Amino acid sequence: MNTIKNYLESMFANMPNTPDVLKAKNELWQMMEDKYTELIGEGKTENEAVGTVISEFGNLEDLADVLNLRNAFEQKAQTIDNTPRRNISRDEAFGYIKDRTTNGLLVGIGVFLCIASVICPISLSEMGRIGNAFGITGMMAMISVAIVLFIVAGTKTRKWDFIEHTPCSLDYGTATELATEREKYQSTHAVRLTIGILLCALSWVPAAVMDELIVNLPLIGDVITPSILFAAVGVGVFLIILTNKIMNSYDRLLGTNDKATVSGNYGRENEPVYINKTVDTIMSVYWPTITCVYLAYSFITFNWFSSWIIWPIAGIIHYVLKKNLTK
Amino acid sequence: MIEISSDVIRGYNDTMILFILGDAPSYGYEISKKIKQLSKEKYLIKETTLYSAFTRMEKNGFIESFVSDDSEGNGKKRTYYRITESGKQYYREKCEEWKLTKDVVENFIRDNGIA
Repeated sequence: MNTIKNYLESMFANMPNTPDVLKAKNELWQMMEDKYTELIGEGKTENEAVGTVISEFGNLEDLADVLNLRNAFEQKAQTIDNTPRRNISRDEAFGYIKDRTTNGLLVGIGVFLCIASVICPISLSEMGRIGNAFGITGMMAMISVAIVLFIVAGTKTRKWDFIEHTPCSLDYGTATELATEREKYQSTHAVRLTIGILLCALSWVPAAVMDELIVNLPLIGDVITPSILFAAVGVGVFLIILTNKIMNSYDRLLGTNDKATVSGNYGRENEPVYINKTVDTIMSVYWPTITCVYLAYSFITFNWFSSWIIWPIAGIIHYVLKKNLTK
Repeated sequence: MIEISSDVIRGYNDTMILFILGDAPSYGYEISKKIKQLSKEKYLIKETTLYSAFTRMEKNGFIESFVSDDSEGNGKKRTYYRITESGKQYYREKCEEWKLTKDVVENFIRDNGIA
């Protein structure tokens, strides 16, 4: 069955992405699926059934006139980019994801080290001049390690530069598999991102609490709580960088096909389709807007203890809007 | 075995589809299956040919499509086609045309071939 679906998708891959073409693809799929099911029911083997269905499919040329494809293909010159695309194989796609993950880890750790490096001078500053010297040395050492990590991270992904710089294409099977993997990663992404943001947003809490409770202990006030703050921000930023790199590499691969052709839809069937363009635009800026409102309100009022309530409320509103405004 | 030339049969795909829709509304695969049965397995209509015929005839107003649940009740939505009044008219014309065509061509057929 997958073979048939792949066959049909590859026949349509470079067709213009129009409602007529999608409808034709859908109807043809329906007929092929019916025929396949019946052949299997008659006791044919999978191979025989697939062979029969594909050999009796016909030729897409037959559809050219009825689908206005003559017109569409003339338009193609304008809307569809005709430069040859480099095909990304399945192995390459997953290799890219793997290397981008490693890259994210290394860059994330590097950034963590840079942020956390200030802990050295802070914690050793109480020990006079020698302490200061060690503090600065420790900081420099951590930054040096970070730079090495950045360089290694860069070499990890260098061979994939072509994905970002040249037009590529992805076949239907690989795209579907990637979309499934992306779907699976989605919840991990949400958790990592939330923890990362929370760590950054709440990093000052221990300092504030300690400040209120224990005033007379310089060790805590000057060393421990600032260290906790930078460590928390560092871990938070690490998580945000890592998870965004992973998510972004899925999105980049899935967005590689030309949107003007049928292949542009691969792996994107599950994306909500909103009723019109205005709604689509509004929904695309929904989360950034909420984030801005949250940060603006929180910084103006310094009401961090209660302003987080905007998130669950925004989540519920988003869910309701999505339910009601999708096709 | 001799195969039917698609150039010749093309003009009559519409006739076959309308003939089947004359009995009851039907959908893609069912129609292709009936064509195969009624032609005693001598003619197999390709999926692309069938779909292009549907689209063309729908545009000309000979058939109408509608989406309905599968009659076998497996919860599947399918596109069904039904014949329209002008489709019935067109079918009659196609039948007349075929009789004429057959009469004409028949005069030039020698069973034993040319010696």
